[in-house]
Amino acid sequence: MSNTMDVLAVGQKGSVKAINAPKALKRRLMDMGFTKGVGVEVIKMAPMGDPMEVAVRGYHLCLRKAEARSIELV
Amino acid sequence: MHTIALVGNPNSGKTTLFNALTGSTAYVGNWPGVTVEKKEGMTNGHKILDLPGIYSLSPYSPEEKISRRYILDEQPDLIIDVIDATNLERSLYLSTQLAELGRPLLLVLNMEDLLIKDGIAIDTKRLSQMFGTPVVQISATKKTGIDELKEQIEQSLANPQTPPCPLFSSSIERKLTTLIEDDYLHDIPQGRQMRWAAIKLLEGDELFLETMPPIPPELNTYLEETRAHLEELYDDDVESIIVDQRYKVAEKLARESLVRQEVKAKRFTFDVIATHRIWAIPLFILIMSGVFFLSVGVVGGGTTPLLEGFFESLAEWVTVKGESWQIHPFLIGILSDGIIAGVGAVLTFVPQLFILFLLLSILEDCGYMARIAFIMDRQMRSMGLSGKSIIPLVIGTGCTVPAIMSTRTIEHQKQRELTIIVTPFIPCGAKMPIFALMLTYFFQNKWYMAPLMYVMGILAVITTGLLARAIDRHKETNAFILELPRYQMPSPKSVWRQTKDRTLGFIYKAGTIILLASILIYLLSSYSFAFKTVDAEESMLAIMGRVIAPIFIPLGFGFWQAAVALLTGIAAKETIVSTLSVVIGTSSLTNFFDPAGALAFMTFILLSSPCVAAMAAMLKELDSKRKFLFAVVWQFGFAYVVSLLVRCIVLIIV
Repeated sequence: MSNTMDVLAVGQKGSVKAINAPKALKRRLMDMGFTKGVGVEVIKMAPMGDPMEVAVRGYHLCLRKAEARSIELV
Repeated sequence: MHTIALVGNPNSGKTTLFNALTGSTAYVGNWPGVTVEKKEGMTNGHKILDLPGIYSLSPYSPEEKISRRYILDEQPDLIIDVIDATNLERSLYLSTQLAELGRPLLLVLNMEDLLIKDGIAIDTKRLSQMFGTPVVQISATKKTGIDELKEQIEQSLANPQTPPCPLFSSSIERKLTTLIEDDYLHDIPQGRQMRWAAIKLLEGDELFLETMPPIPPELNTYLEETRAHLEELYDDDVESIIVDQRYKVAEKLARESLVRQEVKAKRFTFDVIATHRIWAIPLFILIMSGVFFLSVGVVGGGTTPLLEGFFESLAEWVTVKGESWQIHPFLIGILSDGIIAGVGAVLTFVPQLFILFLLLSILEDCGYMARIAFIMDRQMRSMGLSGKSIIPLVIGTGCTVPAIMSTRTIEHQKQRELTIIVTPFIPCGAKMPIFALMLTYFFQNKWYMAPLMYVMGILAVITTGLLARAIDRHKETNAFILELPRYQMPSPKSVWRQTKDRTLGFIYKAGTIILLASILIYLLSSYSFAFKTVDAEESMLAIMGRVIAPIFIPLGFGFWQAAVALLTGIAAKETIVSTLSVVIGTSSLTNFFDPAGALAFMTFILLSSPCVAAMAAMLKELDSKRKFLFAVVWQFGFAYVVSLLVRCIVLIIV
């Protein structure tokens, strides 16, 4: 069982291991700063638990669980 | 003349800097993607371009493609890379790509004021040494450092220097060197940097390869071998390896130039409640209701009767004075029953629109818009829309035109088109006067009627969305990635400027389109086709109006005055008010409409096609005559059916 970002609870941290997504989405996520070894922290969930707010490289962004699932953590 | 391009991440303050440099007043806000089209201006005799924000120069997203093509094809004399200094790493990641384009580059660290607040300092000298370009620190909002920046621009233009390219790890550098030495790259189009071309070649960047002759077989074999080798070495594809390498460079630059970083204790922020699991959505509804209650209810309720009275007595005064000065009744008529009645009816609504525009500007400036997209994404998705669709819907309560433009940040084409089609259902500021007018005469003391119009608009959005989703066979999911900017105190200057511009725009329309329409309507309703002064009932306008009026008989307003008002509403929605004032006179409205017809009339205006400016924006953004036609027909048909239903319901209940 691999550990992906969507299963993190609010306040939990992780470190990116790989991104398993189609080419364009993978590039987009990497452009936003999700590269190998970078630390991420889940800041909060939207009402209904999706999308999620994540801190990466000192800024915040939101993404859906579906995208978070493609980010594999160590 | 030199050309300067402003490039940078979304929401890094490019437009604010553009305004500061050129003295213009382009639209700014605090969410990623306010600027969707490039804007041109002049600074110190140089042409300066404000480009939409980008995170990268990838070949996938449309804005990134446009910016990249622009820089490569137009070869600006200087690229100003606007950096959100509080977000140094991610900004420098883009800078590493800009440095390779072979154009002189200048780094501008914006948001100096926020840095100071955060207790962070950046060693600009060190950054400049390491990166090899000039670095200037400014605050575009507070206008600090602008003079130094202007000076540096002149220096960079007088003494152009292409920046050095950031270096990757040696295993990649070796491969790049081999590629640069290959004869193939010696044919690259003018202005392309060798190193940049070599990287693109290695990545297999499709956009770049389109511009190149076919790759010779030996080189292709070499590329494939190299890619396989690197992929094994780094356990990733080449494109991702390069991204990773760039971020390593950016990390190093950021780490070494940040000199002080105090960790501040977390304070209670607005965000705790703005994105609260339970309270977020009620708060959003409360805020929007508050905006309308304040503008329409409090301010509108207070000022509208006063201004109405003022224009009525003005018209009377003009008539009395005109008669005593023996001015021709024709002129008096044009002035009092045409211009003052028509333009006055529209100007009556200036105070409440001013407040509406003011409150919307504050919302746009403070950083709340992106949060609304965040909290509403789930709900919007179930209707085939994206969280980002909510931003156009909120802006649409002010004006539909910028709202439709703002849909460009929605990546997914289908969701974007659907958002464009439903945005006009949200009543814009110019439709407010119509509702206010009708409510005053037909539904006085029924406070729930005004919010009902907004609820109906929202229901129309939901219905259309659900229908579109039901019809759509391929329910593809797509990405929703949105940067959440920092909250900031709205800058009074920029809020004031936007409010003023929008209000003046409304007044300007009253003085131009509405003025002309009022005169024209007055003339057409006073003369017959034989140019004889006749009763309105036999006028040219009445005859023309009767041609289309029958369509509206089932809706309860099948008389020519209403038909003419709706027609003139195509020019600008508030013209409906001025036309009704000229051809009927507001106080006689009750002789024409019954309450059911009045409500159906309001519903029809709420949902039917927007004004010509908004339709033009729809056509442009949908970029397809067929889709545009569908949108207009859908809006008209939907409006017709719902208005009919509304009338029937009212007739049955009452």
